[in-house]
Amino acid sequence: MPSYELALVLRQLPRPELISVIKRTAEAIFDKGGIIRKFENLGTRALPYKVSEHGVIHREATHFTITFDSAPTKLSDLKEEFGRDIDIIRRHIFKLEEPEEHKCTLHDEMLPPSYRKDVQEIIDIAKRKQKPKYNYNSGLDYYPFQK
Amino acid sequence: MFKLTKLVARNANVGNLLATRHLLPRSFASAPALNEKEITATSQQADEPIDIPNPFEKDPQQCILCKHNITPHYKNVKLLSQFQSSYTGRIYGRHITGLCKQKQEEVEKAILRAQHCLLMPGYHKDLEFLQDPKLFDPEKPVRPHKY
Repeated sequence: MPSYELALVLRQLPRPELISVIKRTAEAIFDKGGIIRKFENLGTRALPYKVSEHGVIHREATHFTITFDSAPTKLSDLKEEFGRDIDIIRRHIFKLEEPEEHKCTLHDEMLPPSYRKDVQEIIDIAKRKQKPKYNYNSGLDYYPFQK
Repeated sequence: MFKLTKLVARNANVGNLLATRHLLPRSFASAPALNEKEITATSQQADEPIDIPNPFEKDPQQCILCKHNITPHYKNVKLLSQFQSSYTGRIYGRHITGLCKQKQEEVEKAILRAQHCLLMPGYHKDLEFLQDPKLFDPEKPVRPHKY
């Protein structure tokens, strides 16, 4: 089962109710056969703009993330279930991925254009697209190509 | 490099021999031809161009995120807001940020994620981060603007 991260934006609630909302979401994950790995509270703060959700305007919210493992086929069900919850303003599920090793390519990108590989490819394509050109001083008294 | 040291060592040997010959001419009188032969052989080799990597080559450039080995993440809002215009909230391009292609892509992806999760404003920079140190100057781009 792949790991996912559920980023929740919860309505501003007193603490006991907040706990019950998180319990509800966690149980929804368990019901779909998932495993929870981590809870993370990102705190309550003002939203960057006012958000109208479930007929209510929200200006403050609690951010919360749950890391869990689940079958990928169950994700749409989970999203649909969280979408019906009045206390959840936004829910996003992101796949957890290991940061892959990569070498900085800035040096190659800062080279003059004719030394860059991508520019060289473009020049090659342009060369391939060029039509054969007829030299008029080659001695033929007719034009050998279609005009 | 090893070749060079070897060469230097050999030259030093020859120099020593020459010096001793000047000091003690009689002792070497019996075998001058052998010594001379050796000198000519080494002088031929000393003229040859040496195969060494360019000692004046600069270290390859690295972008600021690769240098400090940072992977941008959507919860790291403080870092991401440094790549955002404080006037319009738009993400600065690669020609301004001076990042390599992959890191720029990761930064853009992370900023969009953070904005979807209501962690980051889209039309301005978060007021908390307005006084943060500047990583680059948008007035002086690394490569010229498109306009």
